[in-house]
Amino acid sequence: MTPDIAAILAIDGIASGAVYALVAIGTVLIFTVTRVIFIPFGDIAAFTALTLAALDAKQLPGTAALVAVLACLACAMESVALVRAGAARALPRAILCYLALPLIVVGIVWAAVKFDPPLPVRLVLTLMLITPIAPLLDRIVFRPIADGSVLLLLTVSVALHFALVGLGLMFFGPEGVRTEPLTSLSTEIGGITVSGQTVLILLAALLFSVLLFLFFDFTLIGKALRATAINRTGARLMGIRPARAGTIAYLLGSLMAGVSGILIAPVNTIFYDSGFLIGLKAFVGVIVGGMTSYPGAALGALGVGILESFASFESSTLKDVIVFSLLIPILLWLSFGAPHSDEEIEE
Amino acid sequence: MTGAQTRLVAAAAVLCLLIAPFWLNPFSVTLLNYIGIYALAAIGLALLTGVGGIISFGQAAFVGIAAYSTAWVSAANGYSPWLGLALAIVMTCAIAGILGFVTLRLQGHFLSLSTVAWGLAIYFLFGNIDGLGNYNGISNIPPIAIGSLLLTESWQIYLLIWGIVVAVLILCYNLLDSRVGRAMRALRGGNTLVESLGISAFRIKLLTFVLAAFLGALSGWLYAHLSRFISPGPFDAGMGIEYLMMAMVGGAGSVLGGVVGAAIVTLLKNSVQDYLPLIARGASGQLEIVAFSALFILFLQRARQGIVPFLAGFLPEPKLAVPQPAAALPRRAQPAPGKLLLKVDAVERRFGGLVAVNNVSFEVRAGEILGLIGPNGAGKSTIFNLLTGALRVNGGEIAFAGRPITHDPQCHIARAGVARTFQHVKLRPRMSLLDNVLLGTYARTRSGLLAGALRLDRAEEASARYAALCELQRVGLGEKPFELAGNLPLGNQRLLEIARALAADPALLVLDEPAAGLRRQEKLRLAELLRALRKDNLTILLVEHDMEFVMTLVDRIVVLDFGSKLCEGEPAAIRGDARVQEAYLGGVA
Amino acid sequence: MRKLMSLTALLAGLMAATAARAEITIGFVTSLSGNGSSIGIPYGKGIAAAVEYRGEVNGEKIRLIQLDDGSDPSAATRNARKLIEEDKVDILIGTATAPSTIAMMAVANELKVPMIAVSPVVGAPNAADQWGISVPQPAGLLVKIVADRMKRDHMKNIGYIGFSDAWGDLVYNGAKAAEGGEDIKILTNERYARTDTSVTGQILKIMAVHPDAVLIGGSGTQGALPLLTLAERGFKGKTYGTVALVNPDFVRVGGKAAEGIQVSAGPVIVAEQLPDDHFAKKLALAFRAAYQKANGAPTTDGFSAYSFDAWLIFTEAAARALKSAKPGTTDFRKALRDEILNTKELAGVHAVYNFKPGAYHGVDDRSLVIVKLTNGAWKYEP
Repeated sequence: MTPDIAAILAIDGIASGAVYALVAIGTVLIFTVTRVIFIPFGDIAAFTALTLAALDAKQLPGTAALVAVLACLACAMESVALVRAGAARALPRAILCYLALPLIVVGIVWAAVKFDPPLPVRLVLTLMLITPIAPLLDRIVFRPIADGSVLLLLTVSVALHFALVGLGLMFFGPEGVRTEPLTSLSTEIGGITVSGQTVLILLAALLFSVLLFLFFDFTLIGKALRATAINRTGARLMGIRPARAGTIAYLLGSLMAGVSGILIAPVNTIFYDSGFLIGLKAFVGVIVGGMTSYPGAALGALGVGILESFASFESSTLKDVIVFSLLIPILLWLSFGAPHSDEEIEE
Repeated sequence: MTGAQTRLVAAAAVLCLLIAPFWLNPFSVTLLNYIGIYALAAIGLALLTGVGGIISFGQAAFVGIAAYSTAWVSAANGYSPWLGLALAIVMTCAIAGILGFVTLRLQGHFLSLSTVAWGLAIYFLFGNIDGLGNYNGISNIPPIAIGSLLLTESWQIYLLIWGIVVAVLILCYNLLDSRVGRAMRALRGGNTLVESLGISAFRIKLLTFVLAAFLGALSGWLYAHLSRFISPGPFDAGMGIEYLMMAMVGGAGSVLGGVVGAAIVTLLKNSVQDYLPLIARGASGQLEIVAFSALFILFLQRARQGIVPFLAGFLPEPKLAVPQPAAALPRRAQPAPGKLLLKVDAVERRFGGLVAVNNVSFEVRAGEILGLIGPNGAGKSTIFNLLTGALRVNGGEIAFAGRPITHDPQCHIARAGVARTFQHVKLRPRMSLLDNVLLGTYARTRSGLLAGALRLDRAEEASARYAALCELQRVGLGEKPFELAGNLPLGNQRLLEIARALAADPALLVLDEPAAGLRRQEKLRLAELLRALRKDNLTILLVEHDMEFVMTLVDRIVVLDFGSKLCEGEPAAIRGDARVQEAYLGGVA
Repeated sequence: MRKLMSLTALLAGLMAATAARAEITIGFVTSLSGNGSSIGIPYGKGIAAAVEYRGEVNGEKIRLIQLDDGSDPSAATRNARKLIEEDKVDILIGTATAPSTIAMMAVANELKVPMIAVSPVVGAPNAADQWGISVPQPAGLLVKIVADRMKRDHMKNIGYIGFSDAWGDLVYNGAKAAEGGEDIKILTNERYARTDTSVTGQILKIMAVHPDAVLIGGSGTQGALPLLTLAERGFKGKTYGTVALVNPDFVRVGGKAAEGIQVSAGPVIVAEQLPDDHFAKKLALAFRAAYQKANGAPTTDGFSAYSFDAWLIFTEAAARALKSAKPGTTDFRKALRDEILNTKELAGVHAVYNFKPGAYHGVDDRSLVIVKLTNGAWKYEP
């Protein structure tokens, strides 16, 4: 391995790592507020890319149907819950939020497809269509079990991932897509070309991690959101609504997943099931960062990308073995350094 | 339902299983074969994750190791499948042992993620080791032979598979009801609880881990010789997750749940495959997994404990036999009254910049009751944690019965004769009173895993159970020994903890606020109990806030304030001491 | 008690009364989900086209039962057993991934039901009791044709990069087998996963050995990834591949980087460019028409044609077998197997088929042509 090759591999690793970093930050976001390890995050990012590609091809993406169905389901569940709790007065607002808004979005996209909009509009449409998905899924799937153990939430998260992958295959077919780059600029760093798209991804990861870090550590709302994950009852006693906190987190998370998908789609071929492995490697980064730190998660994810790049040069057949085996000593090292928190004692 | 009736029902079920292949159609037998194989792996996971509390995504990797071992032995090298079984078990358990040794000290999420890591690493290895057929797998695996009979027919291997499943179920039930099984069930109460009972948490976790791998190995061996062809595909992350789902659907803490979960998942997939095309042509392939996942999510929302506990709620309570008098367990020789038992010498403990315990020294003599009092935040519980080994000492020495225990781990100190209760009660709410107290007898008994599973430990169990019952009666809870501990009011839960501590036959009983949350009558009874224990030559060290309780009960008092010892002496002297009144009682009385 | 209840439920759900049917029943397994789906879904569409083309044999109706194995060999095994034991099919056709196909073949051999595999199968069958054949050109032959072209193009050092799965193995093994003396040398065995985001490391390794050409052992869209990276890194040599790359998404994603790649493929890919006397021309055009009618879209890949050819082999053999046995009986299965193994010079859209006991495959050099990607379309390069 010459320094040249090492440099190329390093830059390539950072490029992949940036992709993982975006997903890692979003995963931490949802985890710190809801205690859910939201595995479908990667799937939503993949959906975004596939939706954008469908819009590029002037087709109405299956995502629209998905949002419509989810909206109806969520609205029905919310209405039943409200009526049961005797809070029927909140019904109109619930219907507005859970049914009307998503359906309006779907309608806009459906209409816009006929007019062949330009790229910036397509991006906006895609984001609009994707953003309701996670909050709706939260209402349907996670809200009824919000106080369950982490294992229960994790298992449901996994089941949801399988469902989304199946839907993705159904809507978008088994082949992959690449969209047009947002920018065709490229720069040279030390004699190696780096595409403008990759720089965009890195900048986005940096921006998000800084913003979220500031938001959650230094603003009152951010701290309130974190409080709901630590102790739901305590947060409610302080006037913080855990349900609303969850919705905000999922909304932000969905948006981040959407942005990730849009940024990633031009540089990687995205398949209906790409979300899983990207999400898994991003999750590794999350763990390395300590599960609650944004800059840590981003750096961890970058590390995973670089490790993968060098491992694939050393032995491409064994690269996955190397990456996942090396994780164990890293975990050991982290575990001994981490503060010994009270174990989650379950019944 | 008595034990005899339960056994009758179980025997009837086994009989039905035996004759099933002769009146079900062949494909149902095939399905049952797969259910049986998956059930073995799921039972292993039910033990590891449900009972032991260790979420493992890597069970499929162990199944794969075993399958490849036996395939290599029998297909690639032509030896008997039974030799393949031996290699499969050895390889799987050895690798599990190594992995467990390295990773089981990790906490919480780190541990789960490590199972993902090695699960994936092992899976990716399968396709890359030359000689194992790479991605095209190993074909022509010979069938298992019993004597000269080749198990080629579906119903033949069915009998072997379900014979093994039934045997495993029985052994696991026995195990969970024995000494080692109770220790496993205690794992979910947290490391501190487990170690304070003299149980090495790491060792029990490792044992559970290897046991789960062993069951996975059985599953893998049977799988290889049933399908007669293996490739890396069935041992990937998706399958690992599926095993976890099976365990959860069946009931994560229940061994039978593994079987039920495997059955439900397999049958559900089969039905979805049959009925979905009727509802939606064309896209049925992809909709299968969506329908399956949606049903699974719905199920978890409604019955999150799993099916078996859900159904068990409808069945009548089993009537269990009250332990009968039996041979006594070996008792410790109590030290002579007045002899120095515990010596705390200039002990220090810091948390960052805060000095929680500052140069504290005191002694506890055998046969006395010593009270530790002080305002909140004075460091009383910290001292307890230090001398029981739950926290590391930053400076100073602690000696117990003449031996230094300053740096000993909790488990050793517990075995040396120090039993404790906790400020926040640490019980196993889903275990019975008797089982909770039996946990205390762990260090006094010695039956291992095999003895427990094969029920060779009956004599020792009878002694232990009787001893536990006696302790329950001593604290006044002997009426309903099979009540669930979680159903008791707080006061009785504290008594239960004391009973558990007594069951360890300690030389020193360390009680952390035993009277907190008790009503007046209960406090009087507790005081009487403690006096009776002192008469039995038991030494007691306790922390309390209730002055009346302390002053009338203890022989001597040590007063702490802001981590330092203020003074010590007889109750009357302490009550009159001006410094104590200033610091603790709020000014001159 | 609980076991009893679950057993009763099992029983209730699985009672299936069957009797010998007059119609011929086919069990078709493919991967409609999972990582084999990009090949499995085209197989399904190919069968639909085949049914559209020829829906009955000598007046006997054909009943097709289609199951999804999710790219899992265990599921494929269970599906095969289900089709045989519950639905009493006369013949099995399947599936999309090599391991699942091998698994199904084992079941077919055990339960004595003929099987036509639409994926390549490794190894050799037991000539005395053979129940299965395989339609596709074996990977060895696919690669040999490409290797011949490489030799013709004076390529000596070849770099290989393929999927880390069964297909990648098959192509690599085939390439190694075609080395033969000093003609061509396969210098690397790099692999990547379908879901990987980058193959820079692998490409750097390949370029470090300065190959004249690179052989791609991938399939579908992601087959383009190495080509994109090779172009990025400034590789100037030629590129080769197999029919698994014939896929419109591969062309779209590969774009300029994929231009000029030469692959070995069945003649059906370039049906309209074939000379009029080519054995596959008329049949291929008919296949295309049927495919369009059955699936509402034109055919774009090579895989669907394998199911079509499997159907041709089956119907021809069935027509002969019907003379001696009735469908739904073990005699018919045996007769069908005998007739399949007796297929002589049957023209399909991929090859001319000749089967005999002792070998899975029945194709020869006529079954492959070299096509080159030129301006986004596959051109016949004889």
